[in-house]
Amino acid sequence: MAARAEFLERIRREVAKTPGLFEAEPAPRPAPPSAAAETIRRELAERWPQALDRFREEFERVAGVFHRAPRFTAVPAVIAAIARERGARRLITWDPVALGFDVAPALAREGLTVAVARAGQEDETSRQRHREEAARAEVGVTGADFVLAETGTLVLLSGSGRPRSTSLLPDVHVAVFGRDRLLETLEQMGVMLEALHVEPDRAMSGAMITFITGPSRTADIELTLTRGVHGPKEVHVVFVEAP
Amino acid sequence: MITCLGDVFFPEVGVAMVRLLRRLGVEVDFPEAQTCCGMPLFNSGYHRDAAQVAARTVKLFEDAPHVIVPSGSCAWMVKAEYPGLLKHDPALRAAAESLARRTRELSQFLVEVLGITKIESPFHGKVTYHDSCHLLRGLGESASPRALLRGVPGVELVELPGADQCCGFGGSFSVRLPEVSTAILDKKLANVEATGARCLVACDAGCLMQMGGGLTRRGSAVKAVHLAQVLAGELPA
Amino acid sequence: MSDTALRTPFPERAGAALKDAFLQEALKIATTKFIDLRKESFAGFPQGEALRDRARAIKEATLQHLDVHLERLADNVERLGGTVHWATTAEEAREIVLRLCRDRGVRMAVKSKSMATEEIDLNEALEHAGVTPVETDLGEYIIQLAHEKPSHIIAPAIHKTKGQVAELFSRELRGEFPADPEVLTAVARKALREKFLQADMGITGANFAIAETGTVVLVTNEGNGRMVTSLPRIHVALMGIEKVIPSMSDLVVFLAILARSATGQKLSSYTTLVRGPRRVGELEGPEEFHLILLDNGRSRQIASTLREALYCLRCGACLNVCPVYRQIGGHAYGYTYPGPIGILLTAMLKGNESVRELAHASSLCGACKDVCPVRIDIPRMLIELREHLDRERIAPWSERLAFKAFRRLLLSPGAFRLTARAGRWLQLPFVREGRLRGLPLLFSSWTRTRDLPPVAARTFRELWKELR
Repeated sequence: MAARAEFLERIRREVAKTPGLFEAEPAPRPAPPSAAAETIRRELAERWPQALDRFREEFERVAGVFHRAPRFTAVPAVIAAIARERGARRLITWDPVALGFDVAPALAREGLTVAVARAGQEDETSRQRHREEAARAEVGVTGADFVLAETGTLVLLSGSGRPRSTSLLPDVHVAVFGRDRLLETLEQMGVMLEALHVEPDRAMSGAMITFITGPSRTADIELTLTRGVHGPKEVHVVFVEAP
Repeated sequence: MITCLGDVFFPEVGVAMVRLLRRLGVEVDFPEAQTCCGMPLFNSGYHRDAAQVAARTVKLFEDAPHVIVPSGSCAWMVKAEYPGLLKHDPALRAAAESLARRTRELSQFLVEVLGITKIESPFHGKVTYHDSCHLLRGLGESASPRALLRGVPGVELVELPGADQCCGFGGSFSVRLPEVSTAILDKKLANVEATGARCLVACDAGCLMQMGGGLTRRGSAVKAVHLAQVLAGELPA
Repeated sequence: MSDTALRTPFPERAGAALKDAFLQEALKIATTKFIDLRKESFAGFPQGEALRDRARAIKEATLQHLDVHLERLADNVERLGGTVHWATTAEEAREIVLRLCRDRGVRMAVKSKSMATEEIDLNEALEHAGVTPVETDLGEYIIQLAHEKPSHIIAPAIHKTKGQVAELFSRELRGEFPADPEVLTAVARKALREKFLQADMGITGANFAIAETGTVVLVTNEGNGRMVTSLPRIHVALMGIEKVIPSMSDLVVFLAILARSATGQKLSSYTTLVRGPRRVGELEGPEEFHLILLDNGRSRQIASTLREALYCLRCGACLNVCPVYRQIGGHAYGYTYPGPIGILLTAMLKGNESVRELAHASSLCGACKDVCPVRIDIPRMLIELREHLDRERIAPWSERLAFKAFRRLLLSPGAFRLTARAGRWLQLPFVREGRLRGLPLLFSSWTRTRDLPPVAARTFRELWKELR
């Protein structure tokens, strides 16, 4: 503890020596965050069509592939088509509770192998098996907790039944969402982040929040853009039209 | 304020400027005791020395209603740095702030104080303009020189690609790291020659020394000239 | 950079870079591309200027209470089940990591790109201790295999041709790979995927850390940041103390401008927010999370000249526009951090003496300040650094003598006039075709490549008698 006290004391001393370069404030805070978040949700309940259009534009700009389905029951067919087009047979999905519906049976009927990351199975054997399944899967299916129109971004919360690797290890990532996930701006996302962290352990069952804007990419070799460095080569979304 | 380089190496620029201003009805005086604004000392970190030069300069110009400088970097030095250099002496600091307000680079004076952009000059030909760093970023000025050039009937102004990129002078930088300075210069001059302009125009003695020195060394047909010379129609031989 | 390399004077290192034809071409293409991408991105983003002001204000405000924010961050990380370590020096930081490796039986660590770990020479220390560090950022992976240092803050392998990379991979990974970036990327993906799955420890830096929530934020494009913080059983994040920010509302201000400044993207492919080790109920994620707070000379600058340099987001925008960097690249600077901000950071971390040459590796053109997302006034600090070099008598005595003599000249118009007249005589042997060429001594640095105008036959002062 001496190390911490000394370390902070040294900084305290330096800070006390000067008023700083100019008067400055950090960013203003939404107060209270949950109320601000609620206001945003209400706004988006009206404006979701514009947000969706903008999202599609930005998502495609970062090489995302946009699909729609009239209702949840039509989603497995879309996913199966994506898999078939790429000769993929092995999929992994989030727990049905996290996804909002159970895709596995319908996909299995299409002849695809589906591993499901079930919530509540976190013993060592299950962890090991899940890791193997995730590493073998060719398509990963997740939901999306927030969808940002301004930048074409999917925001995913990790947690029980919603593992991190589903949107990371397979070559293809498919995210399924409905109109209630749409947000327009990064600023609004900031409010949502504030709201999530008022009581974070209640709001989130995991330790990671990931913003995904298009597939994995690099231009490290002669500035030539290539996709699918470590993460997925392709990112797809399926927008479910029914409210 | 003629500037040290202007006095010793480019007196024709000062002469052109004086004749131009007189033609426009401005009464021009030249405090003969002036030498330099002290920027070389300042940029190399010799601030106490620069402050002494600043103190002297501030006194020399204290009665001038306007101080006109044919060099962006010197004008910047007076306007941006003199008050800070003299901050420990309240009287000198006030004098420096006053001088800063009254000092302008030539194109700024013509456009802001005289309100003129159209100047009759016998100059004919294609020119291209280089934005010197201190005039562009220090004083925020890129419009006035261009407006003045376009205002001369015989001038065709071609925009220089990378006009806002440094010429590589940087004061003592040019002799401390001559190879890097020259490499930067070569890039600039390649762009200049590609415009097909007859003259390269700038508002800074340092830039003109660097770019002019590069152009003549490579036997280029392009002449590096100061804005004052174009406006006064007084080009070098 | 090794000490032997540093014993070559900077002008020589710069000279060598100027003669490297491939490097010159690579630098021109890369920096021009980044400049254009950034310009385009901000052109279509009218809120950008106001956000830059806000970002700068947040950094300044945070510094004014840095100890409070760091304490809050630490308390929150610990509440989440993470461990916080306090490293005053690079040595201490290395020791902390090595001790963790020893105690936890770590044999291989995968690393996501972190300038802070380069700053403390972590890889070397790990290797000496028998731990294999594997760089997973493609550019860093390439230079690790090549045993080189990064030459640009965000594109570390910018100086390598695809042919060189193909050759390197073929040799080190035992295969036959063509000079095709797609193929080479796939090769790296496969090779590194194995490492991610086998590694005992993941090591990252941190772009930001949020005091109020205990969150560490990583901004990446490749996905290695996500791998490294989810697959191995231990995650270690090494972070400079200046990276802390108060809240999530502050975070989104920076996210709005960071990727735009670095690569022209609205957002990087991945922004990862890590709140401690994995929670009960997560199938994946590290069992242990360690945050190492690194000082290494930063706190000394809070009340000093280089305070503003603590705002730096490590975006690399200043490198891309710097006329000097664009000509010589990153290696010639000789230290972890190159380019305009690199000179300041080096002075911060290694002392003023270390930048006696580098402080002058700038024409003070100000392009860096123009593009910095947090508006750091780099030219001003370079001038102040030069002032320190004079005050502390680090500058060579011959130079100091010359400048003092120059000052005396400027204070005496009589001496000034006389010197000009003397110059008129002394220059006679060197005047050719109305220009000065082939001058000796200091002036030869100029006349080797450029003409000088001669001292005028009559100076302005002398002409004024007639003009008046």
